[in-house]
Amino acid sequence: MEKRLLRFYLKIVLLSVFNAIAVFILILSILSNDVYLLIANTVLLALVNLSSFSRKRYLLKYLLPGFFFLVAMVVLPICYNIYLSMTNYSTGHVIGKDDAIKHFLNREFLSPESEKYSFTAYGENAEITLLVLKSSTEIIVDINGNIRDKNEFSILDTNQDGIPDKINEWILLDQLRVNANIPRLQALRIPYDNGWLRLSTLREFRHYEHQYLYDRETDTLTDVKNGRIYRSESARFVSSEGEVLDPGWTEYVGLRNYLRILITDRYRRPFFGVFIWTIEWSLVTVTASFALGLFLAIILNDSRLRFRKFYRSLLIVPYAIPSFISLLVWRYGFFSSEFGFLNRMLRSFAGISIPWLSAVTWARFSVLLTNVWLTFPYMMLVSLGALQSIQPQLLEAARIDGAGNWQRFRKITFPLLIVTLAPLLIGSFATTFNNFTVIWLLTEGRPIMGVGEVAGSTDILISYAYKLAFSGREGNEMALSAAVSVLIFVIVVAISIVSFRRTRVLEDIADEI
Amino acid sequence: MRYNSFRYIIGRTARHAFVWIAILFAIFPALFVIGTSFNPANSISTTSIFPASPTLANYINLLFSTNSSFPVWIWNTLKICLITSSISVFLCALGAYAFSRFSFRGRRIGLLTILLVQMFPQTLGMTAIFLIMTWFNKTLPLLGLNTHAGLIFVYLGGAIGFNTWLMKGYFDTIPRSLEEAAFVDGATHFRTFLSIVLPLARPILAVIFIIQFIATYSEYMIASTLLKGDNMYTLAVGLKLFVGQHYDDRWGPFAAAGVIGSLLIVAVFYSLQNLIVSGLTGGAVKE
Repeated sequence: MEKRLLRFYLKIVLLSVFNAIAVFILILSILSNDVYLLIANTVLLALVNLSSFSRKRYLLKYLLPGFFFLVAMVVLPICYNIYLSMTNYSTGHVIGKDDAIKHFLNREFLSPESEKYSFTAYGENAEITLLVLKSSTEIIVDINGNIRDKNEFSILDTNQDGIPDKINEWILLDQLRVNANIPRLQALRIPYDNGWLRLSTLREFRHYEHQYLYDRETDTLTDVKNGRIYRSESARFVSSEGEVLDPGWTEYVGLRNYLRILITDRYRRPFFGVFIWTIEWSLVTVTASFALGLFLAIILNDSRLRFRKFYRSLLIVPYAIPSFISLLVWRYGFFSSEFGFLNRMLRSFAGISIPWLSAVTWARFSVLLTNVWLTFPYMMLVSLGALQSIQPQLLEAARIDGAGNWQRFRKITFPLLIVTLAPLLIGSFATTFNNFTVIWLLTEGRPIMGVGEVAGSTDILISYAYKLAFSGREGNEMALSAAVSVLIFVIVVAISIVSFRRTRVLEDIADEI
Repeated sequence: MRYNSFRYIIGRTARHAFVWIAILFAIFPALFVIGTSFNPANSISTTSIFPASPTLANYINLLFSTNSSFPVWIWNTLKICLITSSISVFLCALGAYAFSRFSFRGRRIGLLTILLVQMFPQTLGMTAIFLIMTWFNKTLPLLGLNTHAGLIFVYLGGAIGFNTWLMKGYFDTIPRSLEEAAFVDGATHFRTFLSIVLPLARPILAVIFIIQFIATYSEYMIASTLLKGDNMYTLAVGLKLFVGQHYDDRWGPFAAAGVIGSLLIVAVFYSLQNLIVSGLTGGAVKE
């Protein structure tokens, strides 16, 4: 009984800790005005408490934790990605329209005739309460940046030098104390006329004017300085002479990104070039590594062969080493054109050197070679497993009927193997299709397809999408990258559905559960 | 008869020869990196696989020199891998238990959805993940860009689907009689889960822990996008930058780092070979 009580207390304590954190985040999200976080957090809070206290909802206890992470970091990014692909999110278009307008309204300019104000500060101890700004006129300002009426205060000027010594109970502060408050004063924007007053040097305020005025009716921005008018056009402000203001804003553009990829010459050619290479890359990798793996598996499956276990463990070395290490060894140790092992050997024995990673054909050959090296042990292992599951009676019967080695392989072993291995081969195809790490660590997609082009000759779709988003030459095209990702998703799903249909795996799975 | 045995010998020799060529292809990069890690010179241009005067200098510099970031990277990587795999094993076990033992509305749909979602690798949502993390930076800096907690959060999301499937398959094979006996004795579902199902499922828990550990250890794309700064990097991100900038004169230390970095994973892999292989092939090879 005591144990049960203890467990109950433990549960309460854990739940309280969770609730405390959740409520803290809740407050945080309210303070930062974050609607999405607020909703997500409230739902989570409700679900967790429900699952712990409601007897009927006991299932949630098991499903919720995994579900939470799956939704937060897989499902949500997918949905967000789809949304993103229908916006114009890119360098120069990362904030909302209201924020962009606010940004322009905060831009200021200083006309040369703008008045200069010297200032004196009043307060208690080192705290400034009031400022008196003085040029041709005198303005009293409080520390919050509001202009105050002179008549509110009793101003005392004992030595009649024109500078008040005391306003109400606040006395004139000396320079030292004013200096201590400079950061506070620098943040001050005093609304005044068309613009504001702010500190321009340590000693004086000046009148800055709004550079832009926004008219909500016509949705235009006017440059006060030269009277130029900017209309809002394709998510930016553009003048009639075609001058464009930065930053623009994000907006919904529908399917425009997809059309750009599929229709405009600038993106269609690299996209389809990369697409075809991605297919070649996955097909060649899977077939070549499967062929090599299967061949080795057949040799190793012969029980008369000596040292099979030993051979097997040596052959799976590429599979055991963390891939990022072996990839870097291949790239820099073997393929680098000047110091790489391969070219050093070639130079000393044959006097030639090969541009392993810098010429298109060689670079493609090199990444394929490396990827076959990485994947053939996996193919060998699964083939070995499948071979062992083939009943020897079948082969024996065929032998008695007079079938030769090749015929038995062709008519019995191979068809049986393919049936068991098809799902794994399709899976392997899909993995290779999106194997960013291999391409990125070996070539980063290089050599590039042309001058000023983002796509490279060894880029696969996912590395192309990554480059568009994170290392574009003309800024980051997040939305375009998201559109490419969605297209990859569609392609992978289409390929999987077609091939799973043909192998009837999905039906089997659906029957099993 | 004579002809046959002659052919047999030729065939056998050819097979051994072919296997040895394949072995050479398979292990040569490993030999190369081990050999060159003992070279006295850093430069790749003078390095050789069988150094004339082998030295441990590269290893000592790497591990004990004060300006070497390698220990930090290893520490970061191990920390992230351990936390990710432990939490993901527990989460998946919970989900798999529910899917395996309870019947409820939406169970089939749920399982198929997990399978479908798994077809969309997380890396395809990289842009979205990056922007979500940027947004976290403003509201929840604890999980934002350039934090290990944030990276683990992302990894956990990616680790759920497939592993839950794998584990559910194993749970289905555990007989229910023991649990039923426990119910009769008055144990709750959660209690039987903790003290009966989990101990019986230890092999699959180990497999998934290790598979997840190895996968996280080698993950490059997400880590390189989210982490910035030398002391935040994981081994994969750090090593790439380390060797990428000056591979010609940093080859020695890199090779040593590669050897140490592989050691743990290779050791785990070889000692649990059969378990891992059976897990990775996902039960598709039927006995």
